Amino acid sequence: MSTPVHELTKQQSILVNSTTTSKFNRMARVRLTNRLFKGYFLFSILALCFVLALVIIFIGKTGFLTFNTLSFSEFFLSMNWAPEEDHFGAGLFIINTMILTGLTLLISVPISIAIAVFNAEIAPNWFKSFIRPVLDLLVGIPSIVYGYLGMTVLIPFIRDLTGESLGDGMLAAALVLSLMILPTISRISDDAITAVPKKYREAAYALGSTRLQVIFKIVIPAASRGIVTAIILGMTRAIGETMAVVMVIGNTAQLATTLFTPSSVLTSNIVMQISNVEFDSTWNYALHMMAFLLLAISVLLILIIRFLRAKGVKEA
Amino acid sequence: MKLFRRFSILTLATMFVLTSAVAGSASAASSLKGKITINGSTALLPLTLQAAKEFQKLNPKVSFAASGKGSVTGPQAVSKGIADIGACDWDASTDVPGFKAFDGQVANKVAVIPFATVVNNNVKVDSLTTEQLKGIYSGKITNWKDVGGDDADIVVITRAFGSGTRVNYQAKALGGGDIVKKSKNYKEVASSGDMKTAVSTTPNAIGYIDLVYVNSDLKALKFNGVAATTDNVINGKYKIWSYGYYMTKGQPTGATKAFIEYVQSSKFQTTTVKKMKFIPLSAMK
Repeated sequence: MSTPVHELTKQQSILVNSTTTSKFNRMARVRLTNRLFKGYFLFSILALCFVLALVIIFIGKTGFLTFNTLSFSEFFLSMNWAPEEDHFGAGLFIINTMILTGLTLLISVPISIAIAVFNAEIAPNWFKSFIRPVLDLLVGIPSIVYGYLGMTVLIPFIRDLTGESLGDGMLAAALVLSLMILPTISRISDDAITAVPKKYREAAYALGSTRLQVIFKIVIPAASRGIVTAIILGMTRAIGETMAVVMVIGNTAQLATTLFTPSSVLTSNIVMQISNVEFDSTWNYALHMMAFLLLAISVLLILIIRFLRAKGVKEA
Repeated sequence: MKLFRRFSILTLATMFVLTSAVAGSASAASSLKGKITINGSTALLPLTLQAAKEFQKLNPKVSFAASGKGSVTGPQAVSKGIADIGACDWDASTDVPGFKAFDGQVANKVAVIPFATVVNNNVKVDSLTTEQLKGIYSGKITNWKDVGGDDADIVVITRAFGSGTRVNYQAKALGGGDIVKKSKNYKEVASSGDMKTAVSTTPNAIGYIDLVYVNSDLKALKFNGVAATTDNVINGKYKIWSYGYYMTKGQPTGATKAFIEYVQSSKFQTTTVKKMKFIPLSAMK
């Protein structure tokens, strides 16, 4: 945009002053615009912080009301969620969330790292420039689309394959989620692997390594921090994903004992029940507490990423 | 900079035009004015929106803010003073399973909503009795052959606890009986649309839904031998239906009163209500 004021040399400003006698000259206008924009930028970031603080305070405040009527241990450890009979054990949702996330990572991490390695190390340039935009596009597909495909294509397929009569459950949800986070993980790992200096590889080849040895012993360890960041980013998406999960998991408050048991996780239970609860009830508070828990988990994961990055910068 | 200035001029111009437009529409002649906020059942929302549109033509000074969520949010919003009208699929001034009565609220009937028991098209059974349905939903009957169908597991699909459809179905079709969670072959869905998709795509599934959603994708069962049709609801043979209510805090007044009267008027009931596949109140006398 305009030239910043402080970059004008004294000579120039004298020149400006001598050519125009008006008080509202170019200098003053530039200064005013700069100040206005500074204010606008500051306002933007403060507004965001304010909203974030409001979210945390509101969710937390409502959530912790749960413990007026409920003990900590019942909420976190009990496996019995039956709000209509005053049982609010969220333990099963927490465990289900962990199972689902674990299963999702188990499926998606090996595949997405393989994609990343192929893209960064093996693929010819024309293929790279084709596959990268495709992965970027996959990241942007709305989750409801994945959920709908899961419900109409994947579940009937699972039903035919296994002979189950319903087919909803952990396996379906994990498969849909894997597909969703796969592009995220592989794109970021791809960048991390590409960023590994070429001299590392050349040194390894010079010492007589095979291509596979270079990839597994040099490149992946060197890019490991970036890959872990990618996995955690994928994980946050998997934990917080709601719509796609709701459509394929079966939404029944019970522990997922098999891959095909209809069950429910933190997010899907909140979205299923929040519109049907009374405002001032333990049920409502418990749902808010579950939302707060999700918030806490993502904050924790983000902190881990920051920590890893800081360490990486120091070592480099 | 130039771009910025141009934008701000554009914004100002737009705002000016909008303000004058709003002022213009409000200046048309009508005695009633005010804002009516309506909250609650999604089942009644299409009817509410249509009614608001027609009512606004007659009374341009009345504005509407209507939104749909769960049934129970309707009377709740009314008791908190957020909404003037709470749309609800049951009479919230009385106790129903799971929800206490809302004190001091008046239930205004606005339409009749029929519900149907639906099964996947592959199910051979055509009719179920109250006892059989009770058995299926309480988990005692788990195979279609026990109710005259093929040898196949019954997949129970139900709405989440608190849904207006579920409250009514439990009361009318299951005689107040429980819906028991089973470990397998049991699934909860969030809305009528999801219910339709789930039942029509899952073989051997049974569920329940507003009658307006029933089409050739799934099969509506007879209840105690009576087909689920609007005619059978009107002549009193088919029992699974309920009134849709507009809950208000005390007796409605002003614009709210006029609006409810408009919805209950025979002109609106015989045209729009019928067109939207609800049953007019007058037909039930």
